[in-house]
Amino acid sequence: MNNVSLVVTAIVGCAAAIAGGALPVRTRVGAAVILTWGACAAAFVGAVHVLQTGHPMVLNSTRILPITGVSMALDPLGAIFVVITAVVAIASTLYWLGYASHGLSSRTASAAMPVFVTSMLLVPAAGSVATFMWLWEVMALASLLLVLVDQRRREETRSAAQWYAVMTHAGAAAILLALVMIAGHGGGQTFAAIRIHAAHLPTAVRTTAFLLALIGFGSKAGAVPLHVWLPKAHPEAPSPASALMSGAMVNLGIYGILLVGDRLLGGGPTWWWLVVTGVGVISALFGALHAATSTDLKRLLAYSTADNMGLVLIGVGASGLFASTGHPIVASIAMVSALLLTVNHAAFKGSLFLSAGSVQVATGSRDLDRLGGLMKRMPVTGAVFLVGGLAIAALPPLNGFVGEWMLFQSLLHGLPTSSTAVAIAVPVGVAALALTGGLTAAAFVKAIGIGFLGRPRSEGATTAHEVPRTMQFGAGLLAGFCVVLGIVPSIVMPALERAAAVAVPGASARPLSASTDLRLVGFQGVLAPALLAGGLALAFFLVVILRRIAQRRSDLRLTLRSAEPWGCGRELQTARMQYTATSFAEPLQQVFDDVLRPDRDLDVSHLAESRYYTEKIAYRTSIGDVIEHNLYRPIIGAVYRWGLWARRLQNGSVHRYLAYGLVVLVIILAVIV
Amino acid sequence: MSGSAYASSLELVSGVVLVCAVVTLWRRSLSAIVKALAVQGLALGAVALILGVDLGDGVLIAVGCLVVIAKGLVIPALLGRVVAGDPDSRETAPIVNVPASLVAAGALTFLAYGATGPVVALIPTTAGRLIPLGFATLLIGFFVMAARRKAVSQIVGLLLVDNGIALVAFLATAGVPLLVELGASLDVLLAVVVLRVLAAQMTSKFGVLDLDQLRELHD
Repeated sequence: MNNVSLVVTAIVGCAAAIAGGALPVRTRVGAAVILTWGACAAAFVGAVHVLQTGHPMVLNSTRILPITGVSMALDPLGAIFVVITAVVAIASTLYWLGYASHGLSSRTASAAMPVFVTSMLLVPAAGSVATFMWLWEVMALASLLLVLVDQRRREETRSAAQWYAVMTHAGAAAILLALVMIAGHGGGQTFAAIRIHAAHLPTAVRTTAFLLALIGFGSKAGAVPLHVWLPKAHPEAPSPASALMSGAMVNLGIYGILLVGDRLLGGGPTWWWLVVTGVGVISALFGALHAATSTDLKRLLAYSTADNMGLVLIGVGASGLFASTGHPIVASIAMVSALLLTVNHAAFKGSLFLSAGSVQVATGSRDLDRLGGLMKRMPVTGAVFLVGGLAIAALPPLNGFVGEWMLFQSLLHGLPTSSTAVAIAVPVGVAALALTGGLTAAAFVKAIGIGFLGRPRSEGATTAHEVPRTMQFGAGLLAGFCVVLGIVPSIVMPALERAAAVAVPGASARPLSASTDLRLVGFQGVLAPALLAGGLALAFFLVVILRRIAQRRSDLRLTLRSAEPWGCGRELQTARMQYTATSFAEPLQQVFDDVLRPDRDLDVSHLAESRYYTEKIAYRTSIGDVIEHNLYRPIIGAVYRWGLWARRLQNGSVHRYLAYGLVVLVIILAVIV
Repeated sequence: MSGSAYASSLELVSGVVLVCAVVTLWRRSLSAIVKALAVQGLALGAVALILGVDLGDGVLIAVGCLVVIAKGLVIPALLGRVVAGDPDSRETAPIVNVPASLVAAGALTFLAYGATGPVVALIPTTAGRLIPLGFATLLIGFFVMAARRKAVSQIVGLLLVDNGIALVAFLATAGVPLLVELGASLDVLLAVVVLRVLAAQMTSKFGVLDLDQLRELHD
């Protein structure tokens, strides 16, 4: 059983890429998808086996990569991420079958997609620095190709890809530095060797390596202020690719932080984890705030990814805080909650991105202010988006609720018996979590209410009709997981506990007793999701029945009159009279004016005859990214100016170049003398 | 050959190498510059011959003959034809004027003596004492390339650099293997041939052999 699954994953994944690149256009996507499923299935089976037995899966070969060789070691922590990637990839590639005719059937895209999926499946299984970096770079390059698919048609795509390329490569450089530093001081480049020597590393090396890894992996996970590529690349990538990037790839940033912080360095001082928690809090709030005010559907989802990764980082940071202050049980609960949030995020964000892609295909737009009334025209996609939206807003009985409940529990139970720093950080985290939850709910009320309810606001939305079955199934599969994980979360709990026990040094093996309900061992905390779901269903039916009864009574008393809903008594109504996404977000925008700094533009033009009569009023508002404006633009400007200045050095004169050579030679000689 | 005759003749011809380098900076007429280069090539060959006779090294004598033929006769002859084909064969407006160039040559010679001090200390022979001359020739050659506009001056500068290196090689190691010298000479010959073609092209395109005209090609 052992490492067969890794070998099969790699070989079938490569075969899928070759099929995608070589076959003619009619069969290419189908073959690539089926072979990719094979790779996913092999990885899934292997990862589940690792999770069940707890034994890592090991594979060593000196034949594949020159000099360093390939070293794979899949432990339960990595296996969780493999399972997540496999499931999201199966759903996204199923969706791709239907989406392919909308500009995703080129040779490059069909080859890049399997490569992307396979590399993501193998990254968590890497067991040495060289193998890890190699797979990591393959993953980055394949995803960059997928972002670039639409570059001929859209100018923005190129700029988005540039941002993504720079951020991901700067991140990879930081990761490489971190890993090489600890490998150089430790006994070798395999993770096993590093782990043995980690305790003897000098503090400066440990700290620098951890901070570099946090920067590198944080940029992949979309942690603020390294998130700038998310709201650019996610919307521009074709939807199956954005679902994979947001549902699977950003998670690997979290995996990397756990890998370096916990697995390789074996935990660290309290302040490391305070930094992680702080980054998480800022990411969660910033992401949620931007999600609530975005009017572009996919941009909204991208910011919400930053928000969710922030929540996961709060969980990871809290777990580290509790572990470093000597509370391993709470630390395990926090770690399980972080992993559960990751699983949940993959499920609902995958389904949301896929259904947003369906909306874009059906209406030709992803601007919420041009959508509306889609629930009737696209019932399946609408239902999937509704489930995903309710899940991400953490409403019971869906999976988002369970994850956030656990995170709250771990934070609240860690409170009374900790150090001062923790005692301050935890309540702040709880408050941030609560505010984030509210903002996320607002964001998705807006997305569903404006995008799917009401009346169509554009020609595209009026003529929209349901997308092909494969696309519905692909998105629906992940939405199904949201429901299942919300009602019976106990099916994944043992696996998460095993992974958390690997990640948290000195953790208790079973922090939860999960049968049908979740019980925190050693604390007062019980959640019975199935009971909750049953109760909700009962309440729902009660409301329906009571309403029927009430209706029948009123029928007896007065005759019904039908009128347009929300008509305010007017006869003629147009779609433009409805609330828009912009107007929905306006109050929030007012409250958070200082953080969002929106650009407002009011144009009043008067009639030629008299200044007292206005002809038209144009109001424009756009919200840029404050961090991009104030942090990145100055840096880019400085680099640009420096480049312009450096251009003056070369003016095409041969004599000047020769003079440079002479001057340098003379300086060197003078220094020698 | 007696010891003092050997020493003084070696000093003389090595000195001529450096003086020829300075002459290329002093004279404006391209034909005079090429003549100075020819004299320098002959002097360089003489250095190799004197060393070869003194050491009784047949290979070094052969190298000396090769240098006399290539650097003293063939290359100057090729360059002479380029100069003859150029209607405006004077360095009329050098980037650094002549007096300043001579001062710079003096400074570069000082620098060469300073920089090669440790090397001279290692080789306590007559030949070893003369190494700074080769180094100074190299630096002046570099300076000629940077400070003169004409294409012919550029290649003369390159040849000065090459001659400087060759002089250091002869003096410091009593000659380089024949094969290496042959390779170096062929390289230089090739550069001269390329220049000849380039000069012909430039004359037909621009009517002048001024390298600054090539700035038009920039961007």
